[in-house]
Amino acid sequence: MNLDNVKTAWQQQNNDTGVAITINQTKLSDIKLNKQMQQLNNMKWMRIVESLAFFLIIVLLWQYIVTDFSLSAPTISAFVLNVFAIVGLAGNIGQIVLISQVDYSKPVSDLQKDIYSVCTHKLQLTKLLLMSVPFYMAYVFIGFDLLLGVDLFQHLEQHMIWFYSLSSTLLFFVTAYLLAKLDYKNISLTWVKNTIQFIVGERLVNMAQFINSIEST
Amino acid sequence: MKKNKKTLFAQSMEQHKGIIYKVVNSYCQNHDDRQDLAQEILTTMWLAYDKYDKQFKFSTWMYRIALNVAISYYRKDSKREDKANAKEECIVHIADLSQEADKSEEIRQLYAFIAQLDKLNKAIMLLYLESESYENIANSLGISKTNVATRIGRIKEILKNKFVTQGA
Repeated sequence: MNLDNVKTAWQQQNNDTGVAITINQTKLSDIKLNKQMQQLNNMKWMRIVESLAFFLIIVLLWQYIVTDFSLSAPTISAFVLNVFAIVGLAGNIGQIVLISQVDYSKPVSDLQKDIYSVCTHKLQLTKLLLMSVPFYMAYVFIGFDLLLGVDLFQHLEQHMIWFYSLSSTLLFFVTAYLLAKLDYKNISLTWVKNTIQFIVGERLVNMAQFINSIEST
Repeated sequence: MKKNKKTLFAQSMEQHKGIIYKVVNSYCQNHDDRQDLAQEILTTMWLAYDKYDKQFKFSTWMYRIALNVAISYYRKDSKREDKANAKEECIVHIADLSQEADKSEEIRQLYAFIAQLDKLNKAIMLLYLESESYENIANSLGISKTNVATRIGRIKEILKNKFVTQGA
């Protein structure tokens, strides 16, 4: 079979499909949303709810900082966690804008990257949580202060401070490595593929593989 | 205004509905999926029609939307969704390809060959068969002309080998 020879027969199908495909034009005009757009719409509402949650966290943390403003461990911890909440809120607003701009008439590679970015939100949230892991003591300090009214840092012995500092530094490098690797460009690595599949499902893995195949010659 | 839009859309769609037929038959193997995908493509086109930029040919615009919807099409649980779809009103009806007696053997073989390609090569093949230039294919897919040329060369090679093997 020669591709160039079958082109005419292939294009002839445009005229032969009158019976093979029929469209009910009357029902079409009543359509306001379809499945893919409904999914995007649901995602947009989820992002709006998440944004409100992040906003609430930011307000509460600021209230906590302002109420007892000092250079204490709980206040600094609240400030650090606030930075993460602000990053989360900004990410959510970015997602809402991105979803609103999804345009199916864009070139295939551009639209697939947009949809990947929209679907990858859960992965981004996981990454954000991962980024806060080296600062795990921030959660502990705030927890002790809120629940027991104790500034734990004041009661820590010097060797414990060294231990926590060292473990945070080590965790910083480990999470930095993980964050750099957890990307669609590395989907060929089995552990990256499995991790992404575990967090966001098979669909995103397929999309990542497709985007990779677009970018390779 | 709405009626005018509907008429224009209906006319253009009637003229180019073969594109939907070719895309769904190339991307889906089962008839229910084809039906579902055709509905998704058509409704996406209808909902995006307000933003249709007349500097593009209608067929080019249609192909972009059809390919984008087909590539991002994903059904987690076909059986469950089919039950849900049964309740929905059917806007588009696609004939079962296997039941179409008027399809030439060559076209059937071509569909079978396209079905074996990956999603991107399917898109390239569909546009190539429409006699689109490499530049237009590259623009529609957002890849380089060189990439298009390389991939078409490889597809032709695979096709040639396949039929040489079958002939032997």
